[in-house]
Amino acid sequence: MKAAYLALVLNAHMPFVRRPEYPRFLEERWLYEAISETYLPLLRVFRSLEADAVPFHLTLSVSPTLAAMLGDKTLCERYVEYLDSQLRLAEAEEVRVGMDPAFGPLAGMYRALYAADKEDFLELYGRDILSALDFFYKKGRVELMTSSATHAFLPIFRDCREAVTSQVETAIIAHRKAFGKHPAGFWLPQLGWYPGVADVLRSYNVQYTVVTTRGAMLGEPTPRFGSFAPVECPSGLVAFIRDAGATKAVWSESTGYPADPVYRDFYRDIGFDLPAEYLDAHLENPGERIFTGFKYWSVTGRTEDKRPYDPAAAKTRAVQHAGRFLAERKTSAAAAAGLMDRPPLMVCPFDAELFGHWWFEGPAFLEALFRQVASAGGLGLTTLGDYLKDFPDNQKSVPEFSSWGDGGFAEVWLDGSNDWIYRHVAKAVERMSELAERFPDESGLRERILDQAAREVLLAMCSDWALLMRAGKSASFARRQVEEPIANFGRIYDMLCSNTVSTEWLTRLEKRDNLFPSINYRMFRRKR
Amino acid sequence: MRTDKLDILTLDELYALADKTGLDLPPGLERPFVVEEILEVLEEDSEDRREAQGEEVHIDEKKYSGLRIGDFDADIGLGDSLATRYNETMIRAIARDPSWAFAYWDVADADIEMLRGDEGAAGLFLRVAEIGPHGEHGDSQREYFDIPIADNDLQWYINLPRSGVRFRIDLCARRGGQAGKFRVLARSNEVESPRQSLAASAETLDPSSCELLALSGAEDIPLDDAPEGNPLRILPSGRGNRAD
Repeated sequence: MKAAYLALVLNAHMPFVRRPEYPRFLEERWLYEAISETYLPLLRVFRSLEADAVPFHLTLSVSPTLAAMLGDKTLCERYVEYLDSQLRLAEAEEVRVGMDPAFGPLAGMYRALYAADKEDFLELYGRDILSALDFFYKKGRVELMTSSATHAFLPIFRDCREAVTSQVETAIIAHRKAFGKHPAGFWLPQLGWYPGVADVLRSYNVQYTVVTTRGAMLGEPTPRFGSFAPVECPSGLVAFIRDAGATKAVWSESTGYPADPVYRDFYRDIGFDLPAEYLDAHLENPGERIFTGFKYWSVTGRTEDKRPYDPAAAKTRAVQHAGRFLAERKTSAAAAAGLMDRPPLMVCPFDAELFGHWWFEGPAFLEALFRQVASAGGLGLTTLGDYLKDFPDNQKSVPEFSSWGDGGFAEVWLDGSNDWIYRHVAKAVERMSELAERFPDESGLRERILDQAAREVLLAMCSDWALLMRAGKSASFARRQVEEPIANFGRIYDMLCSNTVSTEWLTRLEKRDNLFPSINYRMFRRKR
Repeated sequence: MRTDKLDILTLDELYALADKTGLDLPPGLERPFVVEEILEVLEEDSEDRREAQGEEVHIDEKKYSGLRIGDFDADIGLGDSLATRYNETMIRAIARDPSWAFAYWDVADADIEMLRGDEGAAGLFLRVAEIGPHGEHGDSQREYFDIPIADNDLQWYINLPRSGVRFRIDLCARRGGQAGKFRVLARSNEVESPRQSLAASAETLDPSSCELLALSGAEDIPLDDAPEGNPLRILPSGRGNRAD
């Protein structure tokens, strides 16, 4: 037994942005960027640690929409096209800045990055990132959790039980299909918890989830070990508690590690710095000013006069930050250890895409952290499931409604910019339940229609669109992502009510919104 | 949003965009003025929202770096905008935070006619009733307050006077000519306003636990609820007035 434990929990998620009807679809680049800068680099970290026999443990939530897209042939094809495009741009960049002592090597770095991504994706993983993750799952290095089917923020739907159960049930079925195992853990999107969700999760045999520090501290009764041990709800669901201090050091945009002047600047990108004519010749979306992924400047500070990025210096700093992070956790653990009857646990949940996509050096930080934990001793890495095996008895407590959004509750997903969503989604859920009751034993075409209706309802519940509406970013696009599935559902509802079906339209819709092939519309039947 | 994105829009589309962003521009403005107004309001709005959100949400946004800016048209899906309402008599409430709940409602056209005709209705109001402490069951109405609403209102944010209690909201119509008489048209689901202070059990924690709570960062959570903060009972929401 170690003196203390550290549990890193990463949430890998992308909303469903597959649009095969367009030759190129800008938002699909979100997925490609995350694969290139986060998922594949993280897998390289895992392989590097494995090759050096460094023990590491990590809990990773793979959202069902992300899993659906990673397993989609069309998107995998398009990802290869994206990589080819990035490699062509890298070659052009090497010509453009090759002689520059500061920027020439950086262009070469990007060519090497995308070449490694292409080789890993095609040769090593055979276009199958899910299997690559499953490899480490089966080895016991990475424990995979699932999350709401379409990343719904569940507290808003707490009085629509079928909305919540359909999100959970679909997620669990999708996880089993992708990884062949029942998920023990469930990542609540945005750490959105409400007391009743414990009963729902437990009824699907989920063992644990993660909640915010504040939500747990406001719980009843107050957790006597603070955030250094999980609590168990009356239903038996265990709620691990986020370590506020540990996460702030990494999350904070202004004072966290990623803000260090030596790291790569996320915002300065040649997509906005270079002439449009040059970019149009090398990008797939002529006329669009977009982030290309080619960034040559370091954070430097709050100035437009940035310094060129120095990858070697940045990597050294990432190793230093890993050391600092570890030292601070040890100090925190030492302070807590004498006050507890068990080793303190520090749970650090992050968005996976923070590492690599936003914080370019994030994967290097994680690798250094794993290596330093392994060599230093005292502090042990654990997964949430492994911790529960060692410490199955935990204080009974029910956390309070909470999230990790601003304000700590539902303010981000329920304000004047996005509150219109919920009238329509609640109505769609109600009507979907009505359909499931009216047509409990359908097969053939009518079953296909009902299953597609269920997919559309789930898609409309995605919390990412509410977030973008509130952020004021691409609100028109985000709005459309909610309106479309609501309208599609409405059309299906009308079809079923009038007993007329447009099979051509339905088939097109099935081909586009093709996630969750094992969906069963009957999950919307009212629970009795 | 950058100017080149707006440059490809027609003047009508610019006016439509201005309308979406809440700008009330007089007709006949020159194109550059419309563009300037839109850019200004979007920049302010974007900055306000950015500053108002937590670190996690900021990072979440970074995933969506390649955002399109103009309107997005899909070839599958809706032809018309979504209906504003479903012509049914109902009310639903959603807890947002310890102080505010979001409520939306509707009154079916037939019910409106009936109220106007048969009963001579003298206006709608919401009755917000406390029905018990947080985490307990039971349905006994304790304290309540009423909020008059306009006939064409469809949603409001409602200030809850206390955190850590359960509320219910009734959509009611006053009966004309009958002082104090009203009819409940619809009753909402229960809403639990979350606690914003430590549970009462925290007062009995031993010193070790208090220290662990402090190490966990709980020292900024009060033991007692903050006093009633916002004197307003309602706040307007972004959209949601009856079309007529």
